[in-house]
Amino acid sequence: MNADLMSTIENVQRESSASGILDLLYAAIDQYGFQKFIISGLPDRGMDVRPFVLLSGWDDEWYERYTSLGYVHLDPVARHCFGTTLPFDWSDAPYDQEADLPARRVMEEARDFGMDQGLCVPIHMEGGMQGVVSLVGKTEHLDDKSRLELHMLALYVHGRLRFINANDPNGAPRRAITRREAEILKWVASGKTANEIAGITGLTARTINQHCENAQKRLGTNNRLHTVVEAIRHKLITL
Amino acid sequence: MRVHIVREPADRQSRDLLEHNYRLRHKVFVERQGWEALRRPDGRDVDDFDNEDATHILITDGKDVVGGSRITPLDRPNLLQTVFHGLVQEDLPADPSLGADWTRFYVRPDRREGRRRAPESAALFCSVMEYALREGFSYITFVSSIYMLEHGTAVGWRITPLGRPQSIDGKPTLAAWIEVSEDALDNVRRATGMRQALISGQGHFSAIGNSLIP
Repeated sequence: MNADLMSTIENVQRESSASGILDLLYAAIDQYGFQKFIISGLPDRGMDVRPFVLLSGWDDEWYERYTSLGYVHLDPVARHCFGTTLPFDWSDAPYDQEADLPARRVMEEARDFGMDQGLCVPIHMEGGMQGVVSLVGKTEHLDDKSRLELHMLALYVHGRLRFINANDPNGAPRRAITRREAEILKWVASGKTANEIAGITGLTARTINQHCENAQKRLGTNNRLHTVVEAIRHKLITL
Repeated sequence: MRVHIVREPADRQSRDLLEHNYRLRHKVFVERQGWEALRRPDGRDVDDFDNEDATHILITDGKDVVGGSRITPLDRPNLLQTVFHGLVQEDLPADPSLGADWTRFYVRPDRREGRRRAPESAALFCSVMEYALREGFSYITFVSSIYMLEHGTAVGWRITPLGRPQSIDGKPTLAAWIEVSEDALDNVRRATGMRQALISGQGHFSAIGNSLIP
């Protein structure tokens, strides 16, 4: 095994802060000719990506633009993550350049920000949750060995960040949920199932479950009942 | 749900669980994942390592087996050092008598559908670490798709590759070892929300409480 990679892997697993991971990853990907990165979960259609971002190594301006304008739902690279388990070059993410103008806009704007090439590692978590580690830089010099090493590195970093986030005493529990999550938790509190709430709100049951999961993450709770109890206790919902 | 620790020679109840386990393994590993080398005409996945050295950790819901794993000692014939020896280039972290090989991890496929996290899988992760600690192992080896690096790290396990990943049937696959420690058990319990012990001292099984219901 590549000794540098082995020591990076070890350091990543010892690191207990996201900022420490940021420094380690910048140094590690530099060895492979990459400059920037983003690590994030991918939300369901229409949802804000910001609560899903694990770590951003992007320029602030691009991050602000990409996240606030909902580009994650237009970006062909992010969309392609749902269709493959293997890492791919951004240029291989399929989209219709003629018809899919929003996708083209995202790709062109990224290029204007100096991000025209990159390697994307899809992360499939248990239960169909989807994440991504995307590295910014040229890819044509990468051989199969380097690609596999970057794939491993991405998996370690993503897993470690999930662990750090779940255990961060400052980050969780955050006492805030969105208005939508509050609305849905109120229905949960009155005994409605996800399917019933879907019928009431016009959302899909999958989206209802996602909102509940997100509220659970924000509150640092263990299950749906616990989430409702904490939301009432902290007066985030009133019945 | 209950966790059962089953070893040969099994009593009658455990015998039924083992049979159920072998049939499920054939469904999962041969029929769904296409591991053709394991295919058998009787629809049971049983190999040379399902012997008296093996410990089966099985999860049941009512009468049904819904998930399982097999643990074999590394100082006895095992899968890692025979079938998968090509994936191992590094030394084991300690004497083989201190390690165990974790194989045939599965959750019954219908239990995964439409759920964000299968409690069966969480129970197996917790049980395997709890069992390894109880038996005094200091590390657990495994061979799997490299996505296990993400899943294991996310529950706070320290995982070290034993060799370069290789593509097997188009899937990047590697051999690695997991450090066994009280911290590793604490971390996986916290990450999965399963606070209590799953394996009891005498009966070798225990009921799993409400913390499992998502």
